[in-house]
Amino acid sequence: MDLEILIENVLNAVTAGITIGCIYGLMCIGLGLIFGIMRIVNFAQGELLMLGMFASFYLVTGGRVLSFLGPYWGPFIGALCAAPLLFAGGALIHKFLISRVSGLRTAGTLDEGHFGQLIVTLGISLILQNGGQILFGSTPVAVRTPLSSEAFLIGPVYGAATVFLNKAKLIAFFVAILVAIALYLTLEYTRLGKALRAAADNPTAATYMGIEVDSAYRIAFGLGAAITAVAGGLIATYISFGPFVGFDYVIIMYSGVVLGGMGSILGAFWGGLTVGFVQQFSALILPPQLQNAAIFVVFLMIVLLRPQGLFGRSAERA
Amino acid sequence: MRQGAGPHLRRSLAVLAGLTVAYLVLTLFVKNSYYQLILTLVPVWALFGVSWNILSGYGGQLSFGHASFFGIGAYTVTLAVVYWRLSPWLGIPLGMVLGGLAAIAIGTPTFRLRGHYFALSMLAYPLAILYVLQYLGFQEVSIPMHRDHPVAFMEFSEPRVYTVIAMALLAGGVAVSLIIENSRFGLALLAIRQNELAAEAAGINARQWKMRSLIVSGMMAAAAGGFYARVLLVVTPDSVFGMLTSAQAVVVTLFGGVASVWGPLIGAAVLVPLAETLQAELGTYLPGIQGVVYGIAIIGIMLLSPDGLFWTIRDRWFRPSGTEPIPDVSGRPAPARPAVAAPGTPLLQVENLSRSFGGLKAVSEVSFSIAQGEILGIIGPNGAGKTTLFNVLNGVLTADAGSAMLAGQQMLGCKTFEVCRMGVGRTFQVVRSFPRLPVLDNVVVGAYGAGMSDREAIASAVRALRQVGLDGQAGVAAGQLTNKQLRLMELARALAGQPRLLLLDETLAGLGREECDSVLAVLAQLRQQGMTICIIEHTMHAMMRLADRFVVLDHGRVLATGLPRAVVEDASVIEAYLGKKWLARQSA
Amino acid sequence: MLEVKDLSVAYGGLRALTGVTLSVPEGRFVTLVGPNGAGKSTLFKTISGVVAPQSGTITFRGENLLARRPAARAHVGIAHVPEGRQVFKTLTVRENLEMGAYPKAGRTQWAQTLERIHTLFPILAERAGQLAGTLSGGEQQMLAIGRGLACAPRLLMLDEPSMGLAPSVADMIFERISQIHREDGLTILLVEQRVAEALERSDHGYVLETGRIVLEGPYETLLNDDRVRRSYLGLTEA
Repeated sequence: MDLEILIENVLNAVTAGITIGCIYGLMCIGLGLIFGIMRIVNFAQGELLMLGMFASFYLVTGGRVLSFLGPYWGPFIGALCAAPLLFAGGALIHKFLISRVSGLRTAGTLDEGHFGQLIVTLGISLILQNGGQILFGSTPVAVRTPLSSEAFLIGPVYGAATVFLNKAKLIAFFVAILVAIALYLTLEYTRLGKALRAAADNPTAATYMGIEVDSAYRIAFGLGAAITAVAGGLIATYISFGPFVGFDYVIIMYSGVVLGGMGSILGAFWGGLTVGFVQQFSALILPPQLQNAAIFVVFLMIVLLRPQGLFGRSAERA
Repeated sequence: MRQGAGPHLRRSLAVLAGLTVAYLVLTLFVKNSYYQLILTLVPVWALFGVSWNILSGYGGQLSFGHASFFGIGAYTVTLAVVYWRLSPWLGIPLGMVLGGLAAIAIGTPTFRLRGHYFALSMLAYPLAILYVLQYLGFQEVSIPMHRDHPVAFMEFSEPRVYTVIAMALLAGGVAVSLIIENSRFGLALLAIRQNELAAEAAGINARQWKMRSLIVSGMMAAAAGGFYARVLLVVTPDSVFGMLTSAQAVVVTLFGGVASVWGPLIGAAVLVPLAETLQAELGTYLPGIQGVVYGIAIIGIMLLSPDGLFWTIRDRWFRPSGTEPIPDVSGRPAPARPAVAAPGTPLLQVENLSRSFGGLKAVSEVSFSIAQGEILGIIGPNGAGKTTLFNVLNGVLTADAGSAMLAGQQMLGCKTFEVCRMGVGRTFQVVRSFPRLPVLDNVVVGAYGAGMSDREAIASAVRALRQVGLDGQAGVAAGQLTNKQLRLMELARALAGQPRLLLLDETLAGLGREECDSVLAVLAQLRQQGMTICIIEHTMHAMMRLADRFVVLDHGRVLATGLPRAVVEDASVIEAYLGKKWLARQSA
Repeated sequence: MLEVKDLSVAYGGLRALTGVTLSVPEGRFVTLVGPNGAGKSTLFKTISGVVAPQSGTITFRGENLLARRPAARAHVGIAHVPEGRQVFKTLTVRENLEMGAYPKAGRTQWAQTLERIHTLFPILAERAGQLAGTLSGGEQQMLAIGRGLACAPRLLMLDEPSMGLAPSVADMIFERISQIHREDGLTILLVEQRVAEALERSDHGYVLETGRIVLEGPYETLLNDDRVRRSYLGLTEA
């Protein structure tokens, strides 16, 4: 009997780990573009996630813009539609604020402008969190789809042990994979993607090639924000959230990107997946509040023991 | 203490006393209980900012998680009252002790990180504690009232007493901060913030000073947190360990003026009443207006006045005009270096030194020696490995193979500040000064590293300035020096540590003809006084006049050593600089 | 094609260039030599726009180059092969070349240009999929030159291509640069420390010392002028 329950729990943790892990992977790709590739420390990344959640919410439930799509598909399309909104928002934030403390202006300085980036993005984070509280209120909301309470049943696989594949999470999983693949293809194979990578690799040389580095960084930042927003919209389908939700996910994002290795989009995805796994498995043994503490411990251990991560292309250490 | 610390401290303490008195007088006039609370909270947040300033302002180690210490103080006081009936009069000191211990526990692993990794990791600690506390069920803990012994438990019916206690704590914190600012502690922290590598090369044990600053900072923050708990009577994990709490220390200090004791006071005095009042008036329509105000304040400051209000105001309107008098050090004996190499043996002996990066041999089996009192010039085409050689000698990089003996002592394998203590002074290509501090303070940092007392250090610094001819500028702010003077100041900083060997890296780069000549004169004079110098330079005509011998490096190997005239006629050297074909044509 | 008049540049408190005047006529191979720290790279950086001059003018094909944004200068046909190669280490060899072809001129003639690059440097075709950061110094230099050629430029500027390379590899690089000039008639401005190798192939040379042009002339004159050696080795009493 106990063995059946254990197996069921483990298998469900595995499936949850994979599905949620891939969503986290997408989320980490967003930060990976900004932090991993452009080396911009963005303290407000969690708030970009939060804005994506709220954008999706207002498009689908609040504003009823997408209500014609029905409650089954609406939330997922809403998540995707959050992307252009946050792309624009991210580009604006970069243009007016971030570009002053990054890019060519700070390339070659002693700390690469990180001090300024940390402070400015801390300010942005405070404004977005609290501004969000003013605009959206603090009552938790959710972008519900009836699919979140339906599941595919696989099994029984062992005795009475059954695996539950939550339908909403499954669809979110597929959307996350698709978007991640789309981004990867864009970065790897399109002229724009290569220019972005070149500008991040060596802004001076990129300028010699005729690439406008400031614009490239702006687009990359916007893309990073948009990807994070989509991930947010997907997460919004299975949790309820308020304006301060970004906070819980910031450490997950940074852990994932650092674990996967800076400078690698693929690495960021695997890092997020791994952290998602760890989180779901820790749910088997730890109570909810300690799960997040466990993620912190993981982050500290990675940063102290193996800062170049699993796939890192450069070691950033003391 | 630093030069001029005495009068400076007295002035600052007088200002502090004046501000305290004025503030307390103000509290007499405020009747509304909400505003009285604000008047009590302003010094608390100011104290928190002062504590943050010690680590992150002076020391430059940006911490986003100071709420750890604040919260530890708060919870210690609260839980002590609740579970042990321990009065806050004792609870606050206990919290400070725990804060100090926490600093050691947190600092030991985390100081291995730098920059943004350090900041983010510091963030993790208070949040982890927050989650654990929530899990343990300490959602909300209140301090019970003790009607029988109110004063013993820091309970007063007159709310103004709390303001007095708060100001007392703040005054204590500011006094500590002032003492730090005026002592070698402060200068060491500034040097580390400015350029940790150069600080280590000047003999400063960065790790040790950073830990000390964290301990002081943690204890102070815990005191602030402990008192905060007493005033508010209710603590929740979020209110003392949360992100906004950590942010408050950062914002208040950055806004008011980082690395200055007055900065957090200004920041708290402006922002706290503003935010609290807005919260009170508009809190129902605009919840969270406080955070928005802080966010705007910090972005604005970062973009417009990155060092904070205090510095902008001071630079614009209160430029210190005169120079401070140079201390008379004639009475003090010069701390002499122990006798150097036995006559006949070289001061520095380098054998087969090698260092590679990946597959590239940056330095390859380099051997040479320097005699006592000699000036050796290290020359070679671009990319020959000259600076790498210095970095290995200095302890910045480790050597793959070989040895370097300074008067019989092995240099390799030592940390940078240890190499400095052995008697090696180093200058760097890019001079980083403390632009707002007088030249003397810039230079005296070099003397601290050599283990001298404060008086000896000042004497040594003054002598060094005399040796380079800058003693007239001792009191001038370094930001006003010309390029040549900055180079000389950098040289003086290295000299202040009483080195036996000077490693100079491109001291003459970019100087005009006359400037070059005057620096050369200084170097020649140093040699006359017995200093041994090893100098990397590209300015060939200068080197020809200055150096006793040359060592020519190319692709990491030694091409030739010897007298300058002989070396420049050497075929392999000409080939390295001008190319094989040139040599072929000339000999044809 | 390129006219630099009375250019003065100072940054970080250092006078890097003072009153520099030089000209690169169309179809010519011009060399700038000088010892370390003379300001050669600064000149290139000013032409590319990364550094701004205090005074003086730069005209390219009659147009004021200083009025153009740095990234726009590649689009008018100036290719810069920077000091130290500066390849995009995290991109492949092929992608580096594609980035070189970023301007329109590069894209329209891409097929022919790529073939030409592969003919000159066959190893780039072999290692097309390899990460540029893993190439040897000589290979990276070839890649940097290929990248410069990829935009079908009107002017190719090379900054110390032999730096850090073994002499035989450097010789090969000079050979190729010479070949490019001969066969394609490309206008070239070369900055080098190795005097003879650089001057021998060029039409006209300038010697830069501590930010000033101290000598100039056709290569025969300079090659036989001992003042060049004295300038490099600090024997002049300037």
